[in-house]
Amino acid sequence: MSLVRWWSGLVLAFALLAVLRIYLPLPFAIEIIIFSIYTLGCSFLLGRVGFISFGQPAYLAIGAYATAFYLFYFGNNPYIGILIGVAAGIVGSFLIGPLLVRLRGDYFALVNLALAVIIYYLMQKVLADITHGDNGLWYLTNMSSTPVLDLTRPDQFFIFAFVVAFAIWAFFKYLDDTIYGACCLAVKVNEDKLRFLGYDNFKVRLTAFVIANTTTALAGALYAVYLGFVSPEITSPARAADPVVVTILGGAGTLYGPIVGAIVYTGMKDVVSKVIGNWELIVGFTLVFIMLAGEKGIWGSLEPRLDRLMARVTGKRSDEVGQ
Amino acid sequence: MSGNGSSLGNLLEVSGLNVAYGESKVLFDVGITVKPGQVVACVGRNGAGKSTLLKTIAGFIKPSSGTVTADGANLVGLTAYVVAGMGIKYIPQDKKVFSDLTVQENLELGSYASKDYEWDKVYDYFPKLKTLLDRKAGYLSGGERQMLMVGRAILGHPKLLLVDEPTEGLAPSIVSHLKDVFGELKKKTALVIVEQNLPMICAIADKIYAVSEGHIMAEITERDQIKPEVCEKYL
Repeated sequence: MSLVRWWSGLVLAFALLAVLRIYLPLPFAIEIIIFSIYTLGCSFLLGRVGFISFGQPAYLAIGAYATAFYLFYFGNNPYIGILIGVAAGIVGSFLIGPLLVRLRGDYFALVNLALAVIIYYLMQKVLADITHGDNGLWYLTNMSSTPVLDLTRPDQFFIFAFVVAFAIWAFFKYLDDTIYGACCLAVKVNEDKLRFLGYDNFKVRLTAFVIANTTTALAGALYAVYLGFVSPEITSPARAADPVVVTILGGAGTLYGPIVGAIVYTGMKDVVSKVIGNWELIVGFTLVFIMLAGEKGIWGSLEPRLDRLMARVTGKRSDEVGQ
Repeated sequence: MSGNGSSLGNLLEVSGLNVAYGESKVLFDVGITVKPGQVVACVGRNGAGKSTLLKTIAGFIKPSSGTVTADGANLVGLTAYVVAGMGIKYIPQDKKVFSDLTVQENLELGSYASKDYEWDKVYDYFPKLKTLLDRKAGYLSGGERQMLMVGRAILGHPKLLLVDEPTEGLAPSIVSHLKDVFGELKKKTALVIVEQNLPMICAIADKIYAVSEGHIMAEITERDQIKPEVCEKYL
């Protein structure tokens, strides 16, 4: 695969996202970017490794609170805050992962949900002295202006989040093309057979867990800096299904499914909710329709058609026209 | 029948092996030996315990008692991926490849694990695979999947291949091709093959174990005795 072709899909996707920014209000565009990163971790776990997780808010909260603690108690540089959030995601995933990745299917999903509930109550009640409970931590005015891109300004924060998202997507695209990416798919399809070849499934699953949840923690850190405020609501069990819903909506395991899912979901939340009070109903019906239409999600269904279209245009076989 | 044969020169020695699935005992005091370059066949009816024997050697099932040694190293208690790393590769019966991956990616998985990227030997045995590299393995025929599984397993120069019912459900031409491949492979690696196709296995085997209800009922080593009509009475 030539380098130009490797980059082309990625550049095109983010160019479209940048164009979309012209027509969308800034808060909406930022929400899409961060929510896409949040969903990408869940999509990787579900679509690539076969882990369904209802505990993603827990890892979002780990990143968000680590950033918030730094910005509220210790410092005022948002860049350092984000780095601390990501570091907390790595450490947290390495500590929790060895216990959880031994679990299968429904047990993994439920134990993760339980983890989200535990973190919620830790932040709301047990650690209320330092988290300020339901009132949350407010530090928007504590944050100092930063050089190059001032993250305290929403327009410049958008550019930063956009660049970070591009780097994350390039990383996951690279991961798809590596032996490790193949191992992840193999462990999802048949983990016993991967062992026949000499691979340690536990290491494959743990690495995927750390990568996915560090990505989620990064989304949490970005939320923390963008909002200048973090409360236990970020890890609310009531929102635990959100990333799973968006993953399925966009197309689990596809590279661009999380972006498409985030656009549709956030769009419904922000646009449909102005017209219809119970906008979740529309999401529910859309999900049912997508499942009945072939379980591949919006991007999962569109992608093969776009590949065929591109193949017709370029004169190549459709399986040569990748993402 | 318990373990037999001299330990001298044996690549694999299984001795006094007892295996149970919960309360249900499957293998009773089983013993087999394999020398380098030998093709050893296990024949017997369905449910006799042949596949369980291979899975136990490969590290997928922990025996309740008994020993499994390869080149003097004890394999009991080792996990499957460690056993595979020692050059003992298991090719399962169900022909399930990694269907979402292409043939090339399936081979790459084998290469990366064994640090062997010399695919020419795979193409020498299975030239057709070279033309299928871009195809998703899920779209391969049964014969092509078996080629892929054997091809992937021979990467890394394994010292022992454990092959479970390789010809089940395959067309006669593919069976004949696999027979030739196994006949060639024995020059470089030992094979333990579980097989019900007696004409095929008798043509290449150096030793046959007849397995029935978890026991080794017979060990046939005389070349003139390794023939379908002799083996048939154990099926």
